[in-house]
Amino acid sequence: MASSSGNDDDLTIPRAAINKMIKETLPNVRVANDARELVVNCCTEFIHLVSSEANEICNKSEKKTISPEHVINALESLGFGSYITEVKDVLQECKSVALKRRKASSRLENLGIPEEELLRQQQELFAKARQQQAELAQQEWLQMQQAAEQAHMAATSASAAQQAGSSQDEDDDDDI
Amino acid sequence: MSTHTAADKDSAAPANNKTISLPISRVRLIMKSSPDVSSINQDALFLTTKATELFVQYLAVSSFNNGSGKESNSLSYSDLASAAEETDTFHFLTDILPKKILAGDYLKTLEQMQDEEADN
Repeated sequence: MASSSGNDDDLTIPRAAINKMIKETLPNVRVANDARELVVNCCTEFIHLVSSEANEICNKSEKKTISPEHVINALESLGFGSYITEVKDVLQECKSVALKRRKASSRLENLGIPEEELLRQQQELFAKARQQQAELAQQEWLQMQQAAEQAHMAATSASAAQQAGSSQDEDDDDDI
Repeated sequence: MSTHTAADKDSAAPANNKTISLPISRVRLIMKSSPDVSSINQDALFLTTKATELFVQYLAVSSFNNGSGKESNSLSYSDLASAAEETDTFHFLTDILPKKILAGDYLKTLEQMQDEEADN
């Protein structure tokens, strides 16, 4: 998914995301490949358009960061005012979802277990994990040792067989 | 792949869902590659991402509705190019999607240009 070229201008929305949107928007419509490619590039162009316009509005307001207001005004001045209600709705939705998530996680924190106890449990888990890791490592080491021994034995018996076979008429004094 | 979404949508109107499907991080990267853009508020980023989604939907739908492929249920490059020319808000796209011309016509135009230069 990461672009292999470092060129900023090659940044586009992933083709798969566009294909999915097209499929959901125009179900059962056959869309030519070059048309899809075009939509990908139109996206990038649109983002640049809105960013530049929002940036100009931002500069005029003497603020340093592009705010939601700047984007909304940019959409209006570019002729996309009809999008404003819906994008605002989605923003509200995203924010309330994020808020719910934060509330849920803080509910988890308030289970009633004191911090010291939680810390102790955590240390126990870590110790157990370390022990398991150590046992695993030792097992692996033993297996490797056994495998190495077997390989060594196989190699020496093979070379012994070879030597025995190739020097039948010689006195074989070689110690293996 | 669920098909129920196709059934409960009016095929002419873009979908109205409350989530964002495009990758926000990628949108941020593209925004930052615009000249002079420094920092973008997170909410502003959400708005831009959703607006881009809506743009894709509108572009697809209006190109299809005004295009020549409606009977055959298809959407082509030229449908999009036409929409860009005919719709005011899509004019900014004409730079990146010139209507395709036949190679022969292009060569003819090139020859004409060269002739004009030679005359000067």
